[in-house]
Amino acid sequence: MAEAVPVNPDIALVARTQSGDAKAFDELVVKYTPRLYGLVYNMTSNHEDANDLLQDVFAKAFRSINGFRGKSSFYTWIHSIAVNMTINFLKKRGRRFQMSLDDVDLNIQNDKEFIELTASSSPIREADLGELQQKLNESMLKLSPEHRAVVTMFDIQGMPHAEISKILGISEGTVRSRLFYAHRQLQAHLEEFRKK
Amino acid sequence: MEDEPDEISKLLRLKRFEQPPPEYFERFLEEFKDRQRAQLLREPAWRIGWDRIVAFIGEQMPARIGYGLASTAVLAAAALASFNILENRPVEIIASNTPAPQQAPAQTPSFALNSPQVQLPDLPSLARTASFTTPRYVMDAQPVSYERPSSF
Repeated sequence: MAEAVPVNPDIALVARTQSGDAKAFDELVVKYTPRLYGLVYNMTSNHEDANDLLQDVFAKAFRSINGFRGKSSFYTWIHSIAVNMTINFLKKRGRRFQMSLDDVDLNIQNDKEFIELTASSSPIREADLGELQQKLNESMLKLSPEHRAVVTMFDIQGMPHAEISKILGISEGTVRSRLFYAHRQLQAHLEEFRKK
Repeated sequence: MEDEPDEISKLLRLKRFEQPPPEYFERFLEEFKDRQRAQLLREPAWRIGWDRIVAFIGEQMPARIGYGLASTAVLAAAALASFNILENRPVEIIASNTPAPQQAPAQTPSFALNSPQVQLPDLPSLARTASFTTPRYVMDAQPVSYERPSSF
C-alpha cells in the first residue's frame, strides 16, 4: 500500500499566490517574517535597516513568485533572496553606520547556555548584559558580509551546513571553512570576555 | 554530523535573545501591504512591467535562455571563423599566371539506332582548336639533365 506523502504547506501557498491569491502570500509573509528578520537583523545589527530590507525582500519575492518552479523549497528560495539582498546592502553601506540594537529578551537569564557561560567556573567573565551584546555585535560587524551570513545562519539560527550551502549556492566544505575562519576572528575580538 | 558547539558558538547563540517588541511582527504585514500599495501608486506602469520581465528572465535565464544564447554564440563564432578561413585561402600564383587550356567543344557523335552510319567528329578541326600550352606546374627551376654530374 502506498504511503501518504506529506504535502508541504508552502507549496500550496505558493501555487495559490501564483494563481493570483494575494492572501496566500500574506500567510507566507506572516510565517517567514520572524525567521528572516532574525537573519537580516543579525547581519546588519540595525533594526531599521533590517525592517526596510525585509520589506524589500518580500516585495521582490512577490514580484518573482511566478518564476518559482519548486526546484528548491520555498524556505531555501526566500532565504537566498534575503541573504543576497542583505550582502549587497552591506557592501553598499560600508562602515558608515550606527548600530541600532533590539532589546535583549530578559528570558536570557533563564537560558541554560547563558547560565553556563556566566557561571563562576566559566571562562567567560561576568559582564553587563548590554556590554556583552554590544561587544558581540561589534565583533560580528568586523566579519565580511559573507562570513557574517554563515555565522548568523549556523551559530545564531542553528541551520545545518547542508541547508546553508543550498541557500548560498556553495559547497558544504566552503561553509565549514568560512565558519572556521570566522570563529577564529571572533575569538580574537572576544578575547577580553575571557576570565583572566 | 554537525560539530559540537564551541565557546564562540555558545556566545553567539545568545544573540537569539535580541528581539524586536512583540507587536513588531503583528504590524509587519500591514506595513508591507501599505508599502506595496504606495509603490504601485508611485511607480509608472512601464516600470512595474519591466520589473516583472526582469524577474521572469532572471528565473529562466540559467535553465533555458542561457543555454540557448550560449549555443547561438558558439555557432555564430564557428560560422564566422569558417567564413574567414574560406575568404583568406592562399591563391596559387603559377596557376593564375598560366592560362587554362581551352576546352575543346564538346562534340558528341551523332548516333541513332536507325542510322546506318556512325558520324565521327571532325578530328582535324578538334586538333586545331586544342592548343598546347606550357606545363602548369614547374617542379624545378633547372632541369635535372643540366645538373653537373657528381665527380668522385
